[in-house]
Amino acid sequence: MSSVRNRVLTPAQLQTFGEELDAVRARHQALLGEHDARYIRRIVAGVRWTGVAGRGLLFLGAFVHSVLVPAWIAGVLLLAFSKILENMELAHNVIHGQYDWMGDPHLQGKTYEWDIAGTSENWRKTHNFRHHTYTNVRGLDDDIGYGLLRIFPEQRWHPFFLVQPLVAVVFALLFEWGIAIQDLRVGRVLAGKITLRQLWRQAKPVRRKALQQIGKDYVFFPLLAGPFFLPVLLGNLAANVIRNVWTYVVIFCGHFTADAETFPKDCVRNETRGHWYMRQLRGSSNLTGGKWMDVMTGNLSHQIEHHFYPDIPANRYAAMAVEVKEICHRYGQHYNTGSMPKQFGQVMWRIVRHAFPSRPAPQRPLVATAAADVPQAPLATD
Amino acid sequence: MSAVYRNAAPPLIPWFKEGFFDFWSTRVHPLWTLRRPLARLVARTQASADAVTLRLQPNRHFAGVLPGQHVNLGVEVAGRLATRSYSPTLLENGDLAITVKVIQGGKVSQHLACGASIGDVFSIGPGFGDMTLAANTQRLLLLAAGAGITPMRSLLRQLDAQAQLASVDLVYWVRSHDQLCFVEELQALAARHPGFGLQFAVTGDAQRPAPRVGTFDFSAVAGLATARVLACGPAGFVESARAHLEPLAASFEGEAFSLPALPDTEQGNVQVALLHSGRTLSIARGVPLLAALEAEGIQPASGCRMGLCNTCVCTKVSGITRHTLSGDHASEPSTPLKLCVNSASTDLTLEL
Repeated sequence: MSSVRNRVLTPAQLQTFGEELDAVRARHQALLGEHDARYIRRIVAGVRWTGVAGRGLLFLGAFVHSVLVPAWIAGVLLLAFSKILENMELAHNVIHGQYDWMGDPHLQGKTYEWDIAGTSENWRKTHNFRHHTYTNVRGLDDDIGYGLLRIFPEQRWHPFFLVQPLVAVVFALLFEWGIAIQDLRVGRVLAGKITLRQLWRQAKPVRRKALQQIGKDYVFFPLLAGPFFLPVLLGNLAANVIRNVWTYVVIFCGHFTADAETFPKDCVRNETRGHWYMRQLRGSSNLTGGKWMDVMTGNLSHQIEHHFYPDIPANRYAAMAVEVKEICHRYGQHYNTGSMPKQFGQVMWRIVRHAFPSRPAPQRPLVATAAADVPQAPLATD
Repeated sequence: MSAVYRNAAPPLIPWFKEGFFDFWSTRVHPLWTLRRPLARLVARTQASADAVTLRLQPNRHFAGVLPGQHVNLGVEVAGRLATRSYSPTLLENGDLAITVKVIQGGKVSQHLACGASIGDVFSIGPGFGDMTLAANTQRLLLLAAGAGITPMRSLLRQLDAQAQLASVDLVYWVRSHDQLCFVEELQALAARHPGFGLQFAVTGDAQRPAPRVGTFDFSAVAGLATARVLACGPAGFVESARAHLEPLAASFEGEAFSLPALPDTEQGNVQVALLHSGRTLSIARGVPLLAALEAEGIQPASGCRMGLCNTCVCTKVSGITRHTLSGDHASEPSTPLKLCVNSASTDLTLEL
């Protein structure tokens, strides 16, 4: 499917490729300071103010009936914006430990709890560790189709996948709940490995967090509105669904575009740093769109940079991307980027195409193995 | 207290987050928090040629401090919280006075002396340290060098209030006359209490340079053999005071402050103290801490083992570490540390 031809690097080239990317990290890490602290605190303020404004507008209709519809719509959009900003630019990045260096007790990766159904604890395991370490490695990265979708031909086909275009839509609407139960690995019950009772017990922290979220958005705030219960409840539901669909689109664009690759398990054995960078590069894709796109996607518009440097503050990615892109170009490596419609179009095509049986293309090596088949191509100097 | 703060108790409403509360409450008043102890800078005066005194107003979550104790002050400099220990003096209205010696190249002391504005808010830990006095005291000999005068000043104010200054001596070392702090206050105490012996020892005096503590003549101190000696100052000062006076006095207690020094070598072993498990281990320098701890049978939470996933991060309370990939050293106390990509360069204390 992919038309990309990456230059096969020699181990020595791969080594310097990794070193150059490490140097980008070191340069930007040395620059961290007041600018970055001010940025993330501005994001916190943005989340708080838009959250309060959004919820306030949803209540407004209860008292001023004439503005019911416009206030409701504006309230939903503001609350959705607040939740997107919190989940993506604030929580996701803080939970990575990107702002740990500040020493701010409310911005610590280990303790931050986000405004979404899933627990931060599960996210730290499934996302920070498994997904980021074993990105797009089949059998190790659960984010490949989330155990629900067949995105790559390397995943084994099953008749169930015929309905996956429909499943994908439902999954998008309920995305936060999919994330919430990801680490429970419900498939174990179907496979008879654990009983339903065991699963229920293991799910205790997940249940507690889910109840908190339901209690907040579907009980507490609607009750505050008294007779106006229903519009507030529906407003919160709409905001949550908008956030779900948006995060789903952004995240699927990150690793499931046409040129994104998956890797076999033995790929990670004795992986060097250069090798690891290379795997992250081939498994990730960026989004173009500028500053607002960066903020609204929590800088996952720089998915490649995020995967290279998950612990560097995301507000640095735009500047790092310039250097990363140049390095990739010089080493003849495809830098996967495109507009959201283009990238998500490719994702949708994958979901439809691989609903049906498909065969994988032969795996392209990440690194030249035998000296014989290495054309000692000089690196591009332009 | 750790700078990487952990919730002490669960919140009243589960989704009602402390960060959420503090965001709005600090917009009403900068010191209003749910539980976080904070202090606000309300005044700053010059204490000597190279020291300033800051007046701090703590909020109601501040756990308090006894005279002679220290508190950890968390100061944000260039976006980073830096933690330093100071010995505050309790003022009448509950405010605290800390005197900070401005150190050449010291980012926190310079920030406090020049950068910080009135109204700035710092985090403040509970008082700690054993150099405190019970009401009923024996004969006392207080030795201070430089900024080491600050806990002594608090102790003297306490003794003054209790009218127990009759059998107390203070020797206060500085390099030059303009470095002396609290001169008038100390002299006033000496005037009011004939039994209080006060000596300023200026080692850089042009005419009569005072001897250092190791060669100082303490024969003027009456009843030295029955005295409790308290010393505070740089590590070298406290060590030579201990060597000189421990055999002569009834008891000796020292509090030393000094910048952590980098070792000449990255070989050999260091002591790593783990606060949560109470264990102290001897581990090799240069080995990533995660691997070294695992070899000792400790199993910290861990994940990627390459410094990315943040699973193994824990608070380093003190000591110097070295990043295994970049080779950079980190000496800042109370900062997060990734165990998998850092090795110990000096003795460490970890919240593990």
